[in-house]
Amino acid sequence: MRVLVVEDHPRLAATVATVLRREGMAVDVAFDGREALERATLTTYDVVVLDRDLPGLHGDEVCRSLVASGARTGVLMLTAAGTLEDRVEGLAIGADDYLPKPFHLAELVARIRALARRSAPGLPPTLSHGDLKLDSARRLVTRGGQPIALSPKEFAVLELLLSAQGAVVSTEQLLERAWDDATDPFTNAVRMTVSRLRAKLGDPPMVETVTPIGYRIGGAG
Amino acid sequence: VSGIISRLRHPQTTVRWRLTLLYGALFLVSGAVLLTVTYVLVEHAPMSRVPNGLFVKGKNVDVPQSANLSVRPPPTANRPVWQRKALTVPAAGASAQARPNNDLAALPPRVTQVLRSSEGQVAIRIVGAKQRLADLHQLIVESSIALAVMAIISAALGWLVAGRVLRPLRTMTAAAQQISEANLHERLALDGPRDELRQLADTIDRLLARLESAFDAQRRFVANASHELRTPLTAARALLEMVMTDPRATVETYQTTCRQVLEESEQQEQLINSLLALAQGERGIDRRSLLDLSAIVDDGLRIYRPRAGERGLRVQTSLSTARLGGDRRLIERLVANLLENALRHNIPGGSVAVEVRSERGQAELLVANTGPVVPADQVQRLLQPFQRLGAERAGQREGFGLGLSIVAAVAAAHDATLDVQPGPGGGLAVRVRFPAPADLLLLPEPGSDRGGAPEEPLQPAGHDRSGVAGSAART
Repeated sequence: MRVLVVEDHPRLAATVATVLRREGMAVDVAFDGREALERATLTTYDVVVLDRDLPGLHGDEVCRSLVASGARTGVLMLTAAGTLEDRVEGLAIGADDYLPKPFHLAELVARIRALARRSAPGLPPTLSHGDLKLDSARRLVTRGGQPIALSPKEFAVLELLLSAQGAVVSTEQLLERAWDDATDPFTNAVRMTVSRLRAKLGDPPMVETVTPIGYRIGGAG
Repeated sequence: VSGIISRLRHPQTTVRWRLTLLYGALFLVSGAVLLTVTYVLVEHAPMSRVPNGLFVKGKNVDVPQSANLSVRPPPTANRPVWQRKALTVPAAGASAQARPNNDLAALPPRVTQVLRSSEGQVAIRIVGAKQRLADLHQLIVESSIALAVMAIISAALGWLVAGRVLRPLRTMTAAAQQISEANLHERLALDGPRDELRQLADTIDRLLARLESAFDAQRRFVANASHELRTPLTAARALLEMVMTDPRATVETYQTTCRQVLEESEQQEQLINSLLALAQGERGIDRRSLLDLSAIVDDGLRIYRPRAGERGLRVQTSLSTARLGGDRRLIERLVANLLENALRHNIPGGSVAVEVRSERGQAELLVANTGPVVPADQVQRLLQPFQRLGAERAGQREGFGLGLSIVAAVAAAHDATLDVQPGPGGGLAVRVRFPAPADLLLLPEPGSDRGGAPEEPLQPAGHDRSGVAGSAART
């Protein structure tokens, strides 16, 4: 899942990004409205976490532009002004959700997941293939009832493969959805992560390699 | 009907009723005056003052001059005046006089004789006077009835006219009742002729516009303040939550996080201090002491000169004694904020010029610095709270944007004039001129220890936020 955090307070932005990455999301950070729009035109984000009071371009304008671009990006607005009027206004501009500051990180994570589910319709909170189950809200992966411990990146890759429901997911797609902009696009990180994931999921193998395009979930299904 | 009755009982309740009553009363009074004037005129009509001569000229008349025309009855107090008057005016009726003159010859000689006799003359006059009395009485009665009818009609018309005149007022009242804090953008927008009511509506509209902008400024301030206060709070909370939910957290991570949370709380404290300074400046000062501006600036420079050196800035100073009456802590804050601004918004290799002088007893402080170009139309905006120049990027942004607004508030509290101009090649030139202390009622500065309150280190209001940025990014 690819998330853009737009927040002018550097430390808050960094903290939120750290926590979201720990949750297996690929997170980019923008410190003002213009930078946010630049990033949003380059990458399709599942969710944009948008502070409303931004220097330069106001958060409302960013939100309008995002909505006008027609992308299926969920916009979660953060704001210090938590009055009823502000919330109504924020939602009227086109935000999908609204969270007043100060917020709990756990709530922020849950709302981002809910938004991402909405922007990819038809997906249940629990993804499964055969005896493999992935609960994205609780970040639990089980195979035949046995829990499997995955790193955030492995989890993100498995989530993407399961969401595709057997369709091939290209290496580039995996790189875009599960890694952030800081990653070198010519890295072999995807190959490494997939091979570790294969090892952890055990036999019979579930992740197939479709050379030279990418990967798909299959096999034991 | 009951409403009308109750209004009749309390006729003072509405302007409409009062106007109606006024119209009615005015009509009634002027009608009565008209009636009286008519009555008097009729009563004293020329014919009633027929002189004796006319009667004497009559061929057949042979009345001794001694026989007075007026049959004046004995003046009795109990006789109404009008009756008395009427009688004094004798036989004035044209008929009563004409008949004896013209028809006397046709009458039997005996009758003529009787009529010619002085008693006859008296009788004729009495009959004439009675006739006249009856005519006047009729005039009074009929005119009174007409007046009463017209009074009622005029009251009804007055009611309608008053309603029509007052209609815009009712519209305005209804519109004004609908306007509250939530819809201050609405206006009465009364159209119609440019009369007093329209002027009133326009005045109210202008008042609403001023109120709206004041409310907007207040709302913006609260929104900005809550953003600036809640964001570090959120950051501190997020930091703590992050480390507490981290399964691999070490003592080192905890220490790093705690340090960051402390820094956040320090920033919040500075912001709160700045807001308090702003509030205090806006509230005004209640105690003025005699201060030497150059000494305060010198103290401030002691802190800022080394920092300017670190940034490679040249500082030129020209300080001469300049006295002013004011609050020392606020003046210190003003000086500190101006110096901090001059340092912060400067360019590498730039300079800061600080001058204190006294001109005709008025202390004057000038702080000019080189720096990025400030558009002339943006200068006034910088004096507003939480305003920073253009698209300063958040990551590089410094301060809360309160520095110059605190300067403006402190200057206003001291009745000083503040002049902010963009520098010729960029930067700002700020001039603060204080009123001469001689004009002021001054209290001696309490002691040489600068007041009883504990001294705080001289700190600028909008403190540096850089240096904490991004250290936790992408860990």
